[in-house]
Amino acid sequence: MDERFSGFGAFVLYTITAAMMLFILAPLLLVMAASVSDSYFVTFPPQGFTLKWYAKVLGDRDFLEAMRLSILLALGTTAGSLLLGVPAAFALVRGKFFGLAAIKGFLLSPLIFPALVTGLALLQVLTRLGSQDARINLLIGHVVVTSPYVIRTVVSSLQLVDENLEDAARTLGANRLWTFWRVTLPQIASGVAAGGLFAFMVSFDNYPVTMWLANSEYSPVPLVLMRQLVNVFDPSVPAMSTIIILMAMVGVLLLEKLVGLRRALAA
Amino acid sequence: MTTSDHVVAVLTVEAAPAARQRSRWRLVLPVGLLAVPMLAFLTYFFFYPALILLLSSIQTQDSRGIIGRPFTLAHYARLINVELYARVLWTTLRISIITSALATVLAYPVALVMVKSRPIVTRIITLIVIAPLIVSVVVRGYGWQLVLQNGPKGMLNWILMTLHIIDAPISVLYTEVAVVIGSLHVFFPMMVLPLASALGKIDPNLEDAARMLGAPWWKVFLRVTLPLSMPGFVAGFTLVFSLTAGSFVIPAILGGASAIMLGNLIEQQIFVVYDWPFGAAIAVVLVGLVLAVNGVSMWLLEGRRLRRPE
Repeated sequence: MDERFSGFGAFVLYTITAAMMLFILAPLLLVMAASVSDSYFVTFPPQGFTLKWYAKVLGDRDFLEAMRLSILLALGTTAGSLLLGVPAAFALVRGKFFGLAAIKGFLLSPLIFPALVTGLALLQVLTRLGSQDARINLLIGHVVVTSPYVIRTVVSSLQLVDENLEDAARTLGANRLWTFWRVTLPQIASGVAAGGLFAFMVSFDNYPVTMWLANSEYSPVPLVLMRQLVNVFDPSVPAMSTIIILMAMVGVLLLEKLVGLRRALAA
Repeated sequence: MTTSDHVVAVLTVEAAPAARQRSRWRLVLPVGLLAVPMLAFLTYFFFYPALILLLSSIQTQDSRGIIGRPFTLAHYARLINVELYARVLWTTLRISIITSALATVLAYPVALVMVKSRPIVTRIITLIVIAPLIVSVVVRGYGWQLVLQNGPKGMLNWILMTLHIIDAPISVLYTEVAVVIGSLHVFFPMMVLPLASALGKIDPNLEDAARMLGAPWWKVFLRVTLPLSMPGFVAGFTLVFSLTAGSFVIPAILGGASAIMLGNLIEQQIFVVYDWPFGAAIAVVLVGLVLAVNGVSMWLLEGRRLRRPE
């Protein structure tokens, strides 16, 4: 850095970068400060210190119920998108068949499609099918939007696998499944883990698909939070938000540990 | 013959090619078939619903709510001709374009610093840029609601008034400006990451060469770095535009009644008015907009039309 930019140019670059870091962090830090401030309405600068909003959140049955649903849904989504996505990624990297590029484009297309429309279209079809259980509908919708992430990360880690190692294992008498389990899987483990973690986080935060498929009985966390925010006045919203922020931080650190953030996202 | 001798024999002599060939034959069919469950799933729960949505956007809904014939383009005409709806379309376009443009200008310096700094600085910037990406959009929208709060107790107003930049509190919340700020916050990483990856791929020798030949830093930037980073710019712009155009949460929290976007209009038509065909038509327009921008971007990126001729 030091040698590449100098004088005024460097000053401008660093100033804008620092300002943007502040811009990114400010709203999150304010939410966290508000969650421990001792006033009914959020004011700036925050006043006093209390943990009573956390006590209130932890006793809030609606929120805890939503949290349980969101975590179970995210776990189910992760399992579903890994089960469907990992074999598909395998086919895309190793297969040699007609229309491979087109099929890859099709499998990744939910990424560029507005998720809001994906959810709406799915709602219409599921309603016609008479599928009433919101939990199943949510699971289907979430797997649609998360599986491309799994495919993308697993494809990019499969491309780095040395096929000679597999050939060696096969020649030494291992069958295909055993070879996959003992030779291929360890090599793509970090890609699979990153894809799974992505699927979990995308599902946990998803709003645009969830808003169509949830109902009053089964509402995941983002929906409950939105309802508290827009419709009723609830002073414990900052505490709920802070819990979500802290959970996300754990996710980011896990991702960074497992694969490195840049690699996970650049795939 | 010991075991290892045996292995060597298998690997080197006539057995090896035969085994390889057999495994090729066995592999070809099943490997392709592994994509079938995923394909079937997406065809049924993504592709088919999208087609049904397209179909219902040109159908008519009767008084009992059943959608069917006759076919009509009236819903599309309504979106363009009724001023209330047309305004939503223009608001969406305006907010998306302004957000993407602002994101480009502000993300460029961040991406440059991210790529060219010492590893520790790069790591910290990466973490700060990416971390909020994983925080729910609802929480981030709420955070901006707190920052922009109208009245003297809002953070922005308090800071500006304490610094004596303004005398009376300004009202930013529930305007288009608030939506642009919120969207910029939510989609900023989508601009920084492609830019950083494009900048990282530039051969540093090119910049060194320009510098050694006497070009000042700004000329090196304008003539070498900027043109070579265009693929990242196009990818980032497309992503931010598409995501902003399709957003719902940020305009709902920060825009209020004055900055309604297409996503909010769709939700209103389906959940409040129960007008499925019209909701579907708006959704199709939104998809068309996003696909058009993605198409242009793919055309630019794949045709290598971004290389400068000189």
